[in-house]
Amino acid sequence: MTFADTHRDTKGANVKSAPSGMALLVLPACLLVLGLLIGPMLLMFRISLNRFSPTQLMIEAFSFENYARAAADPYYQEVILTTLGMALLCTALTLIIAFPAAYWVGRLQSSWKSLVVIATLFPLVVGNVVRSAGWMALFTRDGLINAVLLKVHVISEPLTLMYTPKAVVFGIIAVVLPYMILTIASVIESIPRDLEDAAANLGASALQTFWRVILPLSAPGVAAGSILVFVLCMNTYATAVLLGGPRFKMMAPAIFDQFVRGNNWPMGAALAFMLLALTMSFTIVGSIAFARRYRVR
Amino acid sequence: MASLSIDNLTKRFGASLAVDGLNLAVQEGELVALLGPSGCGKTTTLRMVAGFLPPTSGRVLFDSEDVTNLPAHKRATGMVFQSYALFPHMTAAQNVGFGLEMRGVGGAERQAKVEEALKLVRLSHLAGRLPRELSGGQQQRVALARALVINPKLFLLDEPLSNLDAKLRAEVRIEIRALQQRLGLTTLLVTHDREEALTMADRLVVMEGGRVRQVGSPRELYDEPQDAFVADFVGRCNILLGRRENEIQFRTAGGLVLTVDIAPNESKNANAFALRPERISIRPGAEGDLHGPLQAVTYLGPQTEYHVRVGDEVFVVVQQTPGADEPLASVRPQDQVSLRWDRKAPRLVPQTS
Amino acid sequence: MPASLLANWMERPSSGRILMRILVLIAYLIIFAPVSMIVATSFFSQEIVSFPPPALTWHWYANAWDKPEFLRGLITSLQVALLAAAVGVPIGTAAALAIVRGEFPGKQVISALLLAPLAVPGVVAGSGLYMFYVLAENALDRDIKATTEGLVAAHVMLTIPWTVRLVVASLQGLDRAAEEAAANLGAGPLTVFRRITLPMMRPGIVAAAMFSFIQSFENLDLSLLLVGPGRITLPVAMLNYLEFRIDPTLAAVATVQIVIVGVLMVVTDRFVKLSRVV
Repeated sequence: MTFADTHRDTKGANVKSAPSGMALLVLPACLLVLGLLIGPMLLMFRISLNRFSPTQLMIEAFSFENYARAAADPYYQEVILTTLGMALLCTALTLIIAFPAAYWVGRLQSSWKSLVVIATLFPLVVGNVVRSAGWMALFTRDGLINAVLLKVHVISEPLTLMYTPKAVVFGIIAVVLPYMILTIASVIESIPRDLEDAAANLGASALQTFWRVILPLSAPGVAAGSILVFVLCMNTYATAVLLGGPRFKMMAPAIFDQFVRGNNWPMGAALAFMLLALTMSFTIVGSIAFARRYRVR
Repeated sequence: MASLSIDNLTKRFGASLAVDGLNLAVQEGELVALLGPSGCGKTTTLRMVAGFLPPTSGRVLFDSEDVTNLPAHKRATGMVFQSYALFPHMTAAQNVGFGLEMRGVGGAERQAKVEEALKLVRLSHLAGRLPRELSGGQQQRVALARALVINPKLFLLDEPLSNLDAKLRAEVRIEIRALQQRLGLTTLLVTHDREEALTMADRLVVMEGGRVRQVGSPRELYDEPQDAFVADFVGRCNILLGRRENEIQFRTAGGLVLTVDIAPNESKNANAFALRPERISIRPGAEGDLHGPLQAVTYLGPQTEYHVRVGDEVFVVVQQTPGADEPLASVRPQDQVSLRWDRKAPRLVPQTS
Repeated sequence: MPASLLANWMERPSSGRILMRILVLIAYLIIFAPVSMIVATSFFSQEIVSFPPPALTWHWYANAWDKPEFLRGLITSLQVALLAAAVGVPIGTAAALAIVRGEFPGKQVISALLLAPLAVPGVVAGSGLYMFYVLAENALDRDIKATTEGLVAAHVMLTIPWTVRLVVASLQGLDRAAEEAAANLGAGPLTVFRRITLPMMRPGIVAAAMFSFIQSFENLDLSLLLVGPGRITLPVAMLNYLEFRIDPTLAAVATVQIVIVGVLMVVTDRFVKLSRVV
């Protein structure tokens, strides 16, 4: 996501005669991001080194004991492991579910394509709260799933679906699926159809074509989509709160609790910083591993 | 190698007929070219033969085996794609070996066959390269080797030369033809390039609008086109519309009366006069019935092209470039020139058949 | 060859193709199930959602209208989203222009910086801003948290990366020959920009405005800690309500929101083909 290769189209006839003045145009945006993101992040890191006291709230200090506590306390351990586990599981499941749809979208031609892309995009912009509410209507005791299963006598007692990790998994997958589908589809689109015909012509069945040609060539999309989705899963808030219930804790709700319920800024800041570090390190490791594997590209 | 029979093959896309009742037989070892403008159905035909596209009706037979319902990967045809369709993540050798791998040919045998195939196209030294590390011509040869190594029943070429530059194209044309004849490959070639078709094919099939216009040897099609479309598509041609006055005269729409010598039965509804530019001879000065001002002279090296206005018609004439001291060498636009041709050279054909 | 695809699709329903279609169907079912459930339940007549509904009604839409928290939330969200897009899109567009056309050191670092808000988890960025706002409030002795200004500032930060990304993409795809032709015909740099460059950038800018608006309008994570009594955005209001129960009133509110976003997308698609910008 860098624009390194933009330099080359700036040569040629120079329509803009004062390119140095152009640098000023970038200033407001930079100041905004520095002031509203980078600054607060540094502030947050500093606060995470302070100490919490129930009476005075925050005491100036310079220690990593909040981090040490988060790593040692079984409660925080569980929160961190749950978050990581959910993120990895949901990313893997999403990848499997998304691939056929991505292939379909990527190979779609004609005027339908635009419509399908909009339809795929649409739930993305509806918001996690609304979509979680939709799952609730499906999962509650009187929800559609129980109603249908009871009606056809598959079960005699309503199932407990709400406030289970399973419900959260469904909720998260629904949220992140469109990202995965569209990311992979854009790569599949760029794989010439001829390659599939060529593979068939050489005797490959559909399955062999998939394994030997389509999958290896869509690896960049799979990697980009998985990283994106993993980050989104790590950040899950609404889905975890609404479908997981009060006992199910992932990192984002835990951080929120520290600030709002506990008023414990140092711990909240430390947890937030850990989430940031975890997400970023996974992203970076993922990108590097991918870049190494496909350096030839 | 097998022979190929196409039996009343039809492909309909929605309301339009892409291929309309095509019949064709390709003998074992023969190279047949499907020639026509884009959208004439030649590629659709090839794709149905390869099995990429199910026909709406009709049959495709390899030898006497009906393969119409056989999926592409079981047909054992070797195809060279216009884009080459090399697998970008596999080396040249892996590309060539892919078909063998799909057939369960393993280890040493596969390696030996791949080496042999790469040697056939003179690429042994580049076996480990990825497609994007190869030039266009080298990629094309990998595609050839990949299609041939599986011992295909049928060799299919889809515009195989269109991505090469002009000089290379002429070389590869000869090379592929030599290879095809040496290995006795039954080949179906799709092209829109008449030169390619004329130089490579044993027989040509000129297609238009999903139908066959004419089938024949290159010479037959060039010298005896059945209609104005074929005449024009197979080579450059002066085509003048009009009608036949009597046994020996043809009156053009522009009112010019031309002398012809053609068997009467041959041209019942002939309304077009067709004459190849190189069959006309040109000389300076206004002599005979056919003369007029020269409009343009274009020097093409070994040949020179003249545009001559006679009455309301313009004739294109292509002649060997005259020597510097010949009178013709000094003609300039607006000079009067006269035209002559052998009475048997022109053909009267229907505009469309 | 759309027709050929369709024909191919229908003529050979091999088992592989059928399986493939089922898998595609499952993916889209998971995507659409929650959205369609919400719309459906907004018409259920009973207060407690149960299946099948005894009757259908429009009643909950009127009910939602009467609930001040939703109406105020909707107004706040619209206000914040419009302001954030109005401020963020010009700033982001200027930056994109500089990145593509300008020559200055550290361009890569600056691009990375401007895209950074996409990579930082919303709750994390929100926590940082929350502490920053509270400390600033104490220092300046005025309200920042739970004000429109405070929310807009946070959301502007969110709109920057989207705008930069989309406008840079549209600028990179732009043929400079048209600008050179205009200059060649005697147009000065400013005229070239106004008459040629800006109109050609329009699709990118429209897309950026829409994405900025939607990103802000739907945002929950970043806003969670920045709202307060009287200044609650619609997603936060819905979340608070939902923590107690799901009922058709909320579904009605959500449906209204879905319609707003849907109309916006369709209108934008008229100007810019969304399938190309994403």
